[in-house]
Amino acid sequence: MDMLLQINGAPVQVEVEPGVMLLEVLRDQLGLLGARGTCGVGLCGACTVLLDGDPISSCILLAPLAQGHAITTVEGVPDDDPVVEAFDRHHAFQCGYCIPGMVLTAKSFLAECAQARRCPSREQIAESLGGNLCRCGCYVKIIDAVQEVGS
Amino acid sequence: MTDPRIRASVRYPNDLTVPGMWHARLVRSPHPAARVTGVDTSLLPPGVVVLTPSDVEPLGRYGCQISDQYVLAGVARHVGDPVAAVAAADEATAREAANLLEVGYEKLPAVFDERDALCAGAPPVHDTHAVSDSDAAYFGLRPLEGTNVCHRFRIRTAGLPQGAPCTADPEPDDHAEGFDAAEVIVDETFRTPAVQHVAMEPHACIASWRDGRLEVTTGTQTPFNLRQDLARLFGLPETDVRIVCPPMGGSFGAKTFVRTEAIAAAVAQRLDRPVRLALDRDEEFVTLTRHAATVRVRLGATRGGRFVAKRVWCWVNTGAYADCGPGVAMKMGYAGVGPYRFDHVAVDSFCIYTNLPPAGAFRGYGAAQSVWASERVTDLMAAELGVDPVELRRQNLLVDGDVFCTGETMHDVHFEELLDAAAHAVDWQPGGDNRGKGVAVMLKGMQTPSRAEIGLRRVDDSHFEVLSGTTEMGQGSARAIAQLAADLLGVDADQVEVPPPDTDRVPYDTRTTSSRSTHMMGRALESAVEDLKNSGSDYGHGQIANEGGLDVDTGQGVASSHWHQGAAAAAVEVDDETGTLTLRSVHAASYAGRIVNRAAAELQQEGAMIMAIGTTLFEELTFDQGQVVGPNLSDYNIPSALDCAAVTQSILEVEGAEVHGLGETALPPVPPAIGNALASLGYRPTELPLTPERVLDCAEDA
Repeated sequence: MDMLLQINGAPVQVEVEPGVMLLEVLRDQLGLLGARGTCGVGLCGACTVLLDGDPISSCILLAPLAQGHAITTVEGVPDDDPVVEAFDRHHAFQCGYCIPGMVLTAKSFLAECAQARRCPSREQIAESLGGNLCRCGCYVKIIDAVQEVGS
Repeated sequence: MTDPRIRASVRYPNDLTVPGMWHARLVRSPHPAARVTGVDTSLLPPGVVVLTPSDVEPLGRYGCQISDQYVLAGVARHVGDPVAAVAAADEATAREAANLLEVGYEKLPAVFDERDALCAGAPPVHDTHAVSDSDAAYFGLRPLEGTNVCHRFRIRTAGLPQGAPCTADPEPDDHAEGFDAAEVIVDETFRTPAVQHVAMEPHACIASWRDGRLEVTTGTQTPFNLRQDLARLFGLPETDVRIVCPPMGGSFGAKTFVRTEAIAAAVAQRLDRPVRLALDRDEEFVTLTRHAATVRVRLGATRGGRFVAKRVWCWVNTGAYADCGPGVAMKMGYAGVGPYRFDHVAVDSFCIYTNLPPAGAFRGYGAAQSVWASERVTDLMAAELGVDPVELRRQNLLVDGDVFCTGETMHDVHFEELLDAAAHAVDWQPGGDNRGKGVAVMLKGMQTPSRAEIGLRRVDDSHFEVLSGTTEMGQGSARAIAQLAADLLGVDADQVEVPPPDTDRVPYDTRTTSSRSTHMMGRALESAVEDLKNSGSDYGHGQIANEGGLDVDTGQGVASSHWHQGAAAAAVEVDDETGTLTLRSVHAASYAGRIVNRAAAELQQEGAMIMAIGTTLFEELTFDQGQVVGPNLSDYNIPSALDCAAVTQSILEVEGAEVHGLGETALPPVPPAIGNALASLGYRPTELPLTPERVLDCAEDA
């Protein structure tokens, strides 16, 4: 089927089988490799993208259901984004495989905090990132980075 | 410019494609032990290529320490053993074909527990144990033919009897084994389960053949071992195999030696086109695990608290294939002695085949299992003697000039300072009330012997390129090597490029393991810079070797050219109704010698601790008749951001000291520190992980 997706602010026309997940469209058809499939069941967060600003697991979202929503991948986040810069400044990564998903989840959470005009605690940040797994275990520095932006 | 990893401009092996490539998928045995009797391809769609065990049998067997594995198994030895490979032009067709292939099996008897596998009448997992001629079989291997033991390692300090029966239930001989002067003896048996690395990026590789040469792009910590093993399998000179190593999305030991590369290469050879083979998460759990192990420790001391003798037995479950299990068993053996003085030490460590998925390298490499046992026993002795556990350790810890059980004289050791730093971090009260608190100390060896070469090329007046076989898995070696080169050359780090290893370009290196790379490459760089200055050309070559090794029958020699040294302390609370253990504080103190990159050093410390917390509290691979129960991240949990609040760490530096790797040091002491903290509250934990059920089961008044 033909599909029109809105990705990183631009309309994108793709032809897919109806049963295909959004992750496969992003990676295999569009070459957007920042979202990564690792658990296959929507638990690890490495495939996170934003759908109208909310983090979702693109490995378990049927691509046709993403039509009509604004999709943001890490490639759509600018280099001078405050969260990206904070991750860099705090060295909040090792292998980096989970980091695009981590950055997108953090951006969404921080946008919520900003809207509610509150500075998140470390516990709240940890809670918000609980669905993004990092096996290198960079959580301490990731929370440092998110907390700095959130304050 | 922010680091390219943050916005995904780094390409990992799993991201790569090449024009014209096909996709391979594996068909795996559903039985723990079975002979393949036939492969029926009649249901397959057209255009699919199949490789069966008989297709690859002429290639022979491989294995980095024991040659025990065929490229595809004609006799499956664990659930998940690959018995066939299918390939198609697109991945979906390959997946469908893998499901449609019908494989016939004749079931064989199987054994799963490492001690059951030693019993008379246990089914032999392999008929013979042929020692590999690979570089990784660098010590004397001692397979016991006719048993499931593929290697046994011994330590015997001077005067102790050499022999010992290979048994699952040994009878101690205190008089013969040096315990005569011991007034108090404690003896306990411990177990650690298999766990999985769960690197976020699963294994992925692309193999292709070009003019008779094999090229493999893969995530690996061992490019030169992989090159050698593939060359021998395919009958090529090593220079006709090229291994290209993009940065990995984590490894922790999982991406070592031959994993999926030989199958991909065999399929690519059949097709005469590039083949990609990438694993799903569930396949990771049957590809490599950390050794489950049973470790028994018997410790004798005087009433005054002086350690007299130690007896250690390790039964190391290496699963269906030895991989580097013999090396793990050796290192488990001496790490289980711990950083203490003894009059006499005797160790027997057995690497044992079972019909479980193969176990191999894992961050902590053998030390994690035996330090759990050894440091729990140190606390059992402190309780028996009624003395402060920190004080008992301090009384017996090795200091510079002391002799370790291997006969080597210790130098540049700092166990007391590390123990003090850890104890201080949990507000340890010397001789006071330390209920809920625990400590542990450990030593871990670095790969010895090993060799590192490095090339240094002047690109132009202000730019240099370092050619190094050290692979990048997130540990930050490339950055550390650039920094070390820049310091030696007197330039900025951004003037030094360290490209990913390509065995056609970089000189030999043993492998990126055992937290050796920053240390070894740093030393090799010094000679490369010297050579560049003296040679008058644009290329300098550096080389360093650390000599040593242990006699596998006596454990005497040089175990490690220098030592990874660490301590940890924990403060915990336990709900005695539910068994829930809560970490209030966990601290690891490690010796760095000299720090190259502080942020990277801290990340390694925190990462190792968080991984250790997972394996202490909840990570455990369980098996039902050899099949992994729940091979997914829903059933097998790893730590999240919610598990790090208690973590703090410190790094000991000494001015002018050499660089020590920090990739693993903070992992092995954490489980016993937590276990000892739990024990101080009236529990006797012996088995990891410390789930609520196990905590309740080990209550002293239960």
